Amino acid sequence: MELTTQLIIYGVLMGLVFALIALGLSLIFGVMNIVNFAHGEFLMVGMYIAFLISTYLHLDPLISLPIAAMAGYLLGMFSYHLLIHQILRGPMVAQLFGTFGLMLFLRYLAMYIFTPDVRSIKTGIIVGKALTLGWVSLDLSKVISAGVCLISFGLVYWMIYRTKLGRALRATSIDSEAAQYMGIDTKKMNALAWGIGGATVALAGSLLAHFYYITPTVGMLFTLIAFAIVALGGFGSITGAFLAGIIIGLIMVLSGHLVSELKFTFIYIVYFLVVVFRPRGLFGW
Amino acid sequence: MRQLLIDIFSFEDRPRFERIGFLIFIIIVLLFPWIVKSAYGRAVMIKFLLFALFGLGWNLIGGYGGQVDLGQAKNVGFGAYATGLMMLWWGVPFWITVPIGMVIAAAESFGVAYPMFRLKGHYFAIATLCVALVWKELFVFWDWTGGARGVEIPIRPTPNFTYMQFGSPVHYHYFIFFLFLIQLLFMNWFRKSKLGYECQAVRDNEDVAASIGINVYRTKVIAYTITGGLGAMGGSFMTVYYLYIDPDFVMPLDLSILIAMTVMVGGAGSMWGPIIGAALLIPLDMYLGAWLGAQKRLGIDFMIYAAIMMVIAAREPKGVWGIIERMRRKRIG
Repeated sequence: MELTTQLIIYGVLMGLVFALIALGLSLIFGVMNIVNFAHGEFLMVGMYIAFLISTYLHLDPLISLPIAAMAGYLLGMFSYHLLIHQILRGPMVAQLFGTFGLMLFLRYLAMYIFTPDVRSIKTGIIVGKALTLGWVSLDLSKVISAGVCLISFGLVYWMIYRTKLGRALRATSIDSEAAQYMGIDTKKMNALAWGIGGATVALAGSLLAHFYYITPTVGMLFTLIAFAIVALGGFGSITGAFLAGIIIGLIMVLSGHLVSELKFTFIYIVYFLVVVFRPRGLFGW
Repeated sequence: MRQLLIDIFSFEDRPRFERIGFLIFIIIVLLFPWIVKSAYGRAVMIKFLLFALFGLGWNLIGGYGGQVDLGQAKNVGFGAYATGLMMLWWGVPFWITVPIGMVIAAAESFGVAYPMFRLKGHYFAIATLCVALVWKELFVFWDWTGGARGVEIPIRPTPNFTYMQFGSPVHYHYFIFFLFLIQLLFMNWFRKSKLGYECQAVRDNEDVAASIGINVYRTKVIAYTITGGLGAMGGSFMTVYYLYIDPDFVMPLDLSILIAMTVMVGGAGSMWGPIIGAALLIPLDMYLGAWLGAQKRLGIDFMIYAAIMMVIAAREPKGVWGIIERMRRKRIG
């Protein structure tokens, strides 16, 4: 019983982090119908920023949160203006290979700079501390990370659904051409979607770095998890991404407890089954 | 029957400069072991032919069919494991394991293609990627496949054709060239066949293809199935050439990407594209990798790769062959 409660809580906590990771992917897909294979690599950039700040500057890794978000925003903007804007006109194959190239480039750039060694953050206010609530004992870093992710998700949600900028963004995602006629600068909206996508995922990365190992190749796994979440929640749906994130988090933690070698295999299988049998996703329209 | 043979062996419909180029290419490959004596040079050549073979197979679904498959490595793995395990367990001769591996890969491709082709574009590409990853993780997880330790092929004391084990790389050179020619001739038949034209029609416009009576779904499934079988052939070769296989070596995502990329760089959907792509990327990969590896600069070769990939995607989606075609058209006027 105790164990089950703990596993479920961990599942939900991981799910909240996953939801923030998937948010950017869903947003980018919704606004311009392009899949970003480099999404997990943006996450990896966030993780390395946290690692650098904690190991070389000897500051608390929590300080890296705003820096990572900023860096992610700029990275997303740069990628859009330098690459994505160019490949949007091309055929779908070219789009796929374009973002795939970006993914490989970032991954091996990290490999070159940081070597393939596995790193982790060892010091920090919330690293390795335990939080005891009644009879369950939880990892403090996971609780704080999940909390920050929940708040950030809420902020982005508020921005998209309650502000004028968000309305322009939504208009672009519904019909880009019509939005243009209404005087919305769709190119700017596209760039903004990439910026927000990069910022949220890099922020999630700097949080994840508190309790997850860091390698240059860590991105692919999270890209696929994000794909699974976005597919499950319905492509382009923000609410769907949130709920699907929690579902995937639960699946990963529970199946990982049963057969630890296959915990990611289950996620791939869920993705496969969802896109095949319900391509709209659970909450898609 | 006669028409079939003509379709397989005839390149008459191609322009003359292509036929001359192809002839020169064949002569160079045939004479290669006499010209180049260094073991490394020969290894590069064998790897080039292997990836040209992979590219030819992938070109069927990715180039002619227009469906981006990012999971070809799983078929390579099926071929490699079929050969490796059957040789290890029962000592089955190589030439029997090849068709079995191809049938297994084709059957698996058929099985997953059936639900997967309800998807299009990006969704399909991600689904192929997921299927390949699931297979790789299962091959690591299972005990009967040797798990992460892989399969080691027992070395025979004497060179023989039954198990395709030879002392010198020259034999392997002609051996892979033979397999390569089989696939090339198959593709030569395919591009002129009814199925080939159906695939291209589906690639160019699915709705129009459906309106002239092509069963789009069926065409895609068949193309994907054949591609699976073709990929397994190269996998079988990898087993007898390297004599050791494990999931990280024959089924990784990087392999799927490299296969797709050689075709993209060379020119997807053209007869010679995969060969050109492999001729550019494989020597670059091996020499650059060796040179940078010696200087402890891991990763730069892949960064160069990635940069090529992004430039091709943004500037020249038709690859090197697209550039050649454009130049020719300009000259003709």
